[in-house]
Amino acid sequence: MVKKVLIVDDDQEMLLSLEDGLSKYDETFSIATAEDGLGAVDHLKNSTISLVVTDLKMPKMDGFSLLSHIMEHYPEIPVIIITGYSTSEMERLAREGGAIGYIAKPFMIDDLAKRIITTLRKEADGGTLHSVTSGIFLQLMEMEEKTCTVRLVEKSSGKQGILFFLDGQLLDARCDSLWGEAAAYEIFSWDNVSLIIQNSCPQRERRIHRDLQAILLDAMRLKDELKRIGKPATPRKKLATPAEEKIERTSPVERVKLFLKKEAGEGYGIEDVYEDNSWESFVKGIRRLGAAFEAGEFKAAYIDRGQSSDFILLPGESVMVVAVNPKCARDRIMEALSE
Amino acid sequence: MKELFNDILALEDVRGVVLSSLEGEILFTEPSLEIDKSLPLFIRALGAVREADLIFEKSRIYVRRTDMGYLVILLGLFASGAMLRLHVDMVLPSLKERGKGKGLRSLFRRNR
Repeated sequence: MVKKVLIVDDDQEMLLSLEDGLSKYDETFSIATAEDGLGAVDHLKNSTISLVVTDLKMPKMDGFSLLSHIMEHYPEIPVIIITGYSTSEMERLAREGGAIGYIAKPFMIDDLAKRIITTLRKEADGGTLHSVTSGIFLQLMEMEEKTCTVRLVEKSSGKQGILFFLDGQLLDARCDSLWGEAAAYEIFSWDNVSLIIQNSCPQRERRIHRDLQAILLDAMRLKDELKRIGKPATPRKKLATPAEEKIERTSPVERVKLFLKKEAGEGYGIEDVYEDNSWESFVKGIRRLGAAFEAGEFKAAYIDRGQSSDFILLPGESVMVVAVNPKCARDRIMEALSE
Repeated sequence: MKELFNDILALEDVRGVVLSSLEGEILFTEPSLEIDKSLPLFIRALGAVREADLIFEKSRIYVRRTDMGYLVILLGLFASGAMLRLHVDMVLPSLKERGKGKGLRSLFRRNR
């Protein structure tokens, strides 16, 4: 299977030269291009990309925003940063943001190609299987309690999908613009697939809460039913997950804890969540400031006081404080909390 | 002094830059902004805060302590936090340099 590498740069000459220079590797990977982050987001939504190479300074959506989008929505896709505006701080931020490589311009195209090939090789470090029935194989993943990322290609249509397993549990699935159970139904309806297994699972968010067996059985049933009316397996109406139902029922502190666990995942540097009204007058000052600048309702504040923890303040009847490690995924957590 | 902040002002969705002293006195704004007492009051309440990122319904306010005082950046909701912080990091040494020496602070004073 030829893998697709997405190159994102607002410099059209650079894009053309990379496309041309990398074309000799077209048996290993093909190239798609985008001129800014928004174009890249469209590509990611509509096709299966194995790796992204992106510039940082771009109009509309810069490289850092794109990196953060990829880490949030496509954590299995490795990102290599190329920039003509390189500083050690920028490299640190890029790596902290999740980039696996950082290359300062100018660079040799063959050096970039080597980096791409080495990275893509890891995508199949768990092996490749051809012409198998996905259901039986995936039950084995569950029985063996495997942690892996499985990329599937349906032989007849060339459709691609991806499954994330953590300790044998199916965490999530993706197929075109479908996610979670909807994507799993689609993928499990395929008969003859090639599988590429990667021995790691970067995805940590659980979007699938049902047992693999139950989904497989439902997918088969759905497939049979839809075959009769000639429609593809489509997603069902999304019901509230048990975790979401639980969030509705609990106290504000527990609600924030559960929400952060769901949105930011474990290991994102969240240390504690508690109510602390000693911040109240400070929050009043923030509200006054927001009113002066016509900024609208205060949603959240990130505060760094140079201590071992930073603080996120959330307004409410009492001020909610989320203590975080200063190296936490700050932008991601703030984005989630302020929505 | 505007040139010092040109890169920051050129970032997507950055709406303005305000530099204030540690006591909250407004030293510079770009573009020219009418600032009421809420900003000086807030600055004085910051205490040990080195950096604050305030998110509101319609916009954001980023605050960073510098050797001269506080840099306050007004942002839209689509501004990239990482890119902004990076550019602010890059401005800090120049700001420190400008702040050195007697009377240099007056360079930042706005025409009233």
